Amino acid sequence: MSAGKKATGGNDVKSRSARRAFLKGIAMAGAAAAATPAWGGRTFQDAMGDFFQKHYLRMSPDEVQAAIERIQRRAQDRFGVDINVKNTPAQAGVVFGYAINISKCKGYRDCVSACVKENNLGRDSQVQYIRVLEMDQGTMNLENGDHYYAPETVPQEGKFYLPVQCMQCDDPPCVKACPVNATWMEPDGIVVVDYDWCIGCRYCMTACPYWARHFNWSEPEIPAEEINLDTHYLGNRPRPKGVVEKCHFCVQRTREGRQPACMEACPTGARVFGNLLDPDSEIRYVLENKTVFRLKEDLGTEPKFWYYTDG
Amino acid sequence: MLLAFGCAGLAGAQEPVAPAAETTVGFAGYPDAPALSVVPRQDEMRFFPCEQCHKFLETESQVRELSSPHTNELDHGEGRLWCLNCHEGEDRDYLVTLLGERIEYNDSHLVCGGCHANRHRDWYFGAHGKRADNWQGERRVYNCAHCHDPHEPALEPRAPEPMPPVRKGLARPEGGAHAPGFPWETQTDSTEEQP
Repeated sequence: MSAGKKATGGNDVKSRSARRAFLKGIAMAGAAAAATPAWGGRTFQDAMGDFFQKHYLRMSPDEVQAAIERIQRRAQDRFGVDINVKNTPAQAGVVFGYAINISKCKGYRDCVSACVKENNLGRDSQVQYIRVLEMDQGTMNLENGDHYYAPETVPQEGKFYLPVQCMQCDDPPCVKACPVNATWMEPDGIVVVDYDWCIGCRYCMTACPYWARHFNWSEPEIPAEEINLDTHYLGNRPRPKGVVEKCHFCVQRTREGRQPACMEACPTGARVFGNLLDPDSEIRYVLENKTVFRLKEDLGTEPKFWYYTDG
Repeated sequence: MLLAFGCAGLAGAQEPVAPAAETTVGFAGYPDAPALSVVPRQDEMRFFPCEQCHKFLETESQVRELSSPHTNELDHGEGRLWCLNCHEGEDRDYLVTLLGERIEYNDSHLVCGGCHANRHRDWYFGAHGKRADNWQGERRVYNCAHCHDPHEPALEPRAPEPMPPVRKGLARPEGGAHAPGFPWETQTDSTEEQP
């Protein structure tokens, strides 16, 4: 097993270096031919560094650090702010799970706006990681859910509210669909995206049964003073345009023991988040003592996101 | 078999009641529940300490119209409750449980739990209520009264945050969930102008 793996790894490295050399040649030729700097205001080194940046999982710690510094310089250029890009690894013995009490969710959408602020999502783009579906009581057909509801007050009579976001599936179809391995599941169960490796093909979006992945069609428009400076490489750092992004359970917060922004913002306390491997955790109590269900469970994607009701 | 279970269940139900009635120690939390501390609320209360006024007032157990500063609205328990069911009559700086224990305002969940035992248990274990600050480390949870006004516990409906923006050139499907078509099927102004 290990010998076979090694052999394949060797092949990978060989083919990768060949590809790199080829790209490098093109880049050099291009750079020599262009009289004006084509790297748009950044230093030549940064432009080259971005171009030759490896996949997150294959970078050495030094290379990750260099990439982080480039991201920080780019944010300084773009927004004029000093962001902090963290690279906190997953905690050992932690697999995150989430549960929502739909008896308590009243459809206020406070989680949505908190998520937009926390994760530096464009204020005018249609990318929002959480969709709160307004559903008729007694029905469970997600296709009839309306996330554009805008009554004067919520909850409306005869409706219930079902927030949907990335389920962080344990057998994620989006990861299987990605042709370049730009998305993967971290040891703590969070499915993350290397935004610099994503080619924007959007296969993962079609593979996702929960409409949880979003393509950013435009540069996010965020007022500089509203930018969240506390970011994570795999989380809410400013993303380039034209890549796929998704809910990452606020990896910049949860890996430090803090709550995800949606949970912190929820005024009704409908959201329960915690470590699935800890038998004393709140999430485990919910799973063991409440009637829980998951969305589209028949697809076998094993979401780590449950819904439960009072009673 | 069913009968046996029924008997066992009855016996099990009767057993814990008897010692509780004898000792009148009352409820001391669930030993299995993860450790928790309650976010204090007493300092946020507008009229606290209550004894500032109430030490000059006689305790009157008669159900009657109340005047300012205490409104006459008690939308809790459908008319079965009165002030002194929860408030200590002799010292208004405390609450009182159905067993007659004196409870501080910061521990008011013990009073609520006297009737709402299922919710109280869920709150202890984390399936009801709201945890402050973190998911890991010290577990601080908000008290019942942080969210529910004890005199009017149901939460009022309020306006939601704005709906998500609709992609440019598309309109929100009229009628919401039961719209006749999907957004890309409902024509907008820009497409209607074309011949």
